[in-house]
Amino acid sequence: MVHSVTSVGAPHGAPSEGSPYGIESKKLAIWLFIIADAATFGAILFAYGYLRLANPDWTRPFAFSPTIVNGIVMTVVLLTSSLTMVAAVAAAQSGRASAGVRWLSATILLGIVFAALHLREWFALIGEGWRLFRNPMGGSPLFGATFFGITGLHLLHVICGVIVIVVITIGFRRGRFDAGHIETTALYWHFVDLVWMFVFPLVYLMNVR
Amino acid sequence: MTAIASPRGPTMKLYVVVWIGLIVIVGLEVFLTYERLPAGTLLVCLLGLALIEAALGVMYFMHLKYERPALFWSLIPYLVFALVMMDHFWPDALRLMRQRMPGQ
Repeated sequence: MVHSVTSVGAPHGAPSEGSPYGIESKKLAIWLFIIADAATFGAILFAYGYLRLANPDWTRPFAFSPTIVNGIVMTVVLLTSSLTMVAAVAAAQSGRASAGVRWLSATILLGIVFAALHLREWFALIGEGWRLFRNPMGGSPLFGATFFGITGLHLLHVICGVIVIVVITIGFRRGRFDAGHIETTALYWHFVDLVWMFVFPLVYLMNVR
Repeated sequence: MTAIASPRGPTMKLYVVVWIGLIVIVGLEVFLTYERLPAGTLLVCLLGLALIEAALGVMYFMHLKYERPALFWSLIPYLVFALVMMDHFWPDALRLMRQRMPGQ
């Protein structure tokens, strides 16, 4: 069997296979992670969707103000953070390092604002008596489990993303990381944004009063 | 390290257009919610709009449109297959719930 072997920038002339996708291995790795994570979110959202439709007395606790307004603000904040992230990638790829750091800092700030708004929402619900398996409105206790479970998993992704972007920003500023690292991190951040595009309508909008 | 040049992506102007489009879709979702549609119809509408948002994000923000087609065909059909299988088997879980032994 004949293997196609090319030496593309390999150290000391050592032969290595070229990427079949024309991308760096770290970028392919993050894509594989994203697909696996998308299947995880898909599973819990499918489970939630069937529970929501199968329960005729499903609790719908969310009023337009403050919950849905807060959700819309959170959505705009997260979408804007994706825009600042693509600006950071574009700046880093064109060699404008200081602009890249500024856009990354804006993304970090927006990620923190999103997490703060989310936690404020959680504490308000907990203050009203909502728990993982307690429904203060007397309906299905599964509402708390699905709401805190799904939004909690997403919030965990946001917090991890903010921490990673902070680390990448510091490394990029010091010259230890390059534009490829920012692009890889950006892929994860956009994925977190896209998951929210499903969480907001399914978990918030499907449960308005 | 193997140096592989990234293909050219969209311009900032296009990114802003996509961003505005995504915000408009969110507005449409909120509007549909208060039209008081039946739960099943609302779910289908919201899922459809969310899928459009996801496609825009994956293709433009995540640059999949600008990568080699092999990457798209290696990743997306697998994910769609996995999600379709979940959709196919979840209702079966509800059927099993109704098959409890008498007296349980």
